[in-house]
Amino acid sequence: MKDLRLLKIIGLGMLMLILSACKGSPDDPPAEGAFKADIQLDWVPEPEFGGYYAARDSGLFSQEHLEVHLKPGGPGVPTLQLIESGQVTFGITTADNLLIARDRGADLVALFALYQTFPAGIMVHAERGLHGLEDVFKEGTLAMEPGTPTFKFLEKRFGFHHIHVVPYTNNLSPFLHDPQLAQQCYVTAEPIAARRAGASPFVFPISDAGYNPYSGILVTKREVLIKHKDEVRRLIRAIKAGWTAYLKDPTSANQAMHQLNPTMDEATFEASSKIQAPLIVGSPGTPIGQMTLERWQTLSGQLVELGLIQPSDPQSAFEPSE
Amino acid sequence: MKPLSGVLWLPPLMSFVLITGLIECSIILMDLPAYLAPRPSAVALALFIHAEELLKATRHTGIAAITGLGMSAILGALLAITLASHPLIRRAFYPYAVFFQTVPIIAIAPMLVIWFGYGQGAVVAASFIVSVSPIIANTLTGLLSTDPALLDLFRIAKASRLDTLFKLRIPGAIPHFLTGLRIASGLAVIGAIVGEFVADSYEDGGGIGTAVEIALKEQRTDLVFAAVLMSSLLGLLIFWLVSGLNQLSLKYWHLGEFKDS
Repeated sequence: MKDLRLLKIIGLGMLMLILSACKGSPDDPPAEGAFKADIQLDWVPEPEFGGYYAARDSGLFSQEHLEVHLKPGGPGVPTLQLIESGQVTFGITTADNLLIARDRGADLVALFALYQTFPAGIMVHAERGLHGLEDVFKEGTLAMEPGTPTFKFLEKRFGFHHIHVVPYTNNLSPFLHDPQLAQQCYVTAEPIAARRAGASPFVFPISDAGYNPYSGILVTKREVLIKHKDEVRRLIRAIKAGWTAYLKDPTSANQAMHQLNPTMDEATFEASSKIQAPLIVGSPGTPIGQMTLERWQTLSGQLVELGLIQPSDPQSAFEPSE
Repeated sequence: MKPLSGVLWLPPLMSFVLITGLIECSIILMDLPAYLAPRPSAVALALFIHAEELLKATRHTGIAAITGLGMSAILGALLAITLASHPLIRRAFYPYAVFFQTVPIIAIAPMLVIWFGYGQGAVVAASFIVSVSPIIANTLTGLLSTDPALLDLFRIAKASRLDTLFKLRIPGAIPHFLTGLRIASGLAVIGAIVGEFVADSYEDGGGIGTAVEIALKEQRTDLVFAAVLMSSLLGLLIFWLVSGLNQLSLKYWHLGEFKDS
């Protein structure tokens, strides 16, 4: 009998241990009456969200009396629709997608811009010896998602008459297989993977061709901004602090994200966070997350020229930070 | 039959008007913005404005889907006959035929592209992979469910195996084959569209899959639904073609079933 009771106690103890382990996720402890906010990420946890995880794990959100939940995304996650329909309060997207959504009638506002330089590029095999982005459009194949503003920009700027344009499905095999194939990439992602697979990739940044939308921007509905002005201000403060911390030392946030996204190994996390740092910091003296009206106007003008939106003043598309 | 034919299209038309009307009214009443739920009238307008591109895309996808379906019909039937020929063969290979049904195209996209190249080749292959399973399964069922009494009759008459196959089992399996073909007709369209997502060539504008993807990226929900409507119409068209084939063939072999269709 005694043995059985002992067994029960041990069993109960183990159960509690398991339960407490489950509860011990690094989410902020829900503070009493804290402002609750979901942030919809537009991809799986990767260094491009490092500052958010850093802010969460070092308690920066709870310090600001916020209860933030980071929701990982994936291919095709409809971030803007989720924000607009109120299913999430905040989300991450790119400036061009925001302006298009606004043109379609969504009253969304950008609050923070992570990348001062657009991290998208065209990756080619270094062996081709191409000298500039224009050379990509002279021959060979280009794998790229159709219909994106970047796609339209490149089509208008360089023309797709001499190349074979095909879909890109987030898989490197076609690139590795075909030495004449160029493909879209994020400078922080695909080139690292291609190099590891034995290729020698070379990247032409899209921003060099004159298309440089803010990206990794944090977006919310205007009504949220009006109703919760103070909470939003605190959120941005925490996010900025999170990014400052991440840029100083990304190790622990990278580990946390690696747990959530184990297919990306730690070395890739490290390499990727190194590559993205200068794109976030921008020119010396630029405060983190800054957005200027001038750049929004440039982008708006480019999207009008591409026939994606009607002319409009982008002044109300973003909230200049303090 | 004749006087009824005028009434035949009336019920689907009425349900169409009723349902689209209801959707239109509820979107207006709930004040839903276009990017969350496009109004049927906006979809119709997009369909009208972009008719030329959409028709071109539909033709592009249609050719791939019909080719894929044709390949499924031929290869699926041949495979089913092979599987039906001996229980051992069936046991050895049938599980792999089922495998086709579960292949997520996105997972094998890079292989499709490397084997068949970008363009119609890979798209047809995707359409084939998605649509072949129901044909194999249905035809096989048909081949294996021959009336035992008739089989006895053939045996008494000392018919050869080939004679039994061609004069008894295959004719008997045709209704099953055609049912498989009808199920496969919709799948062939889906397969082609998914194939276009991963392997289309944009040179001549691409197919419905590409049109959907572009409209999604441009946040044009009206155009997305217009393209979806075109794919449904394409599916319907192929279904009708198959049904026509159905009636034609059943007229020869199965008079009884013809009356009903």
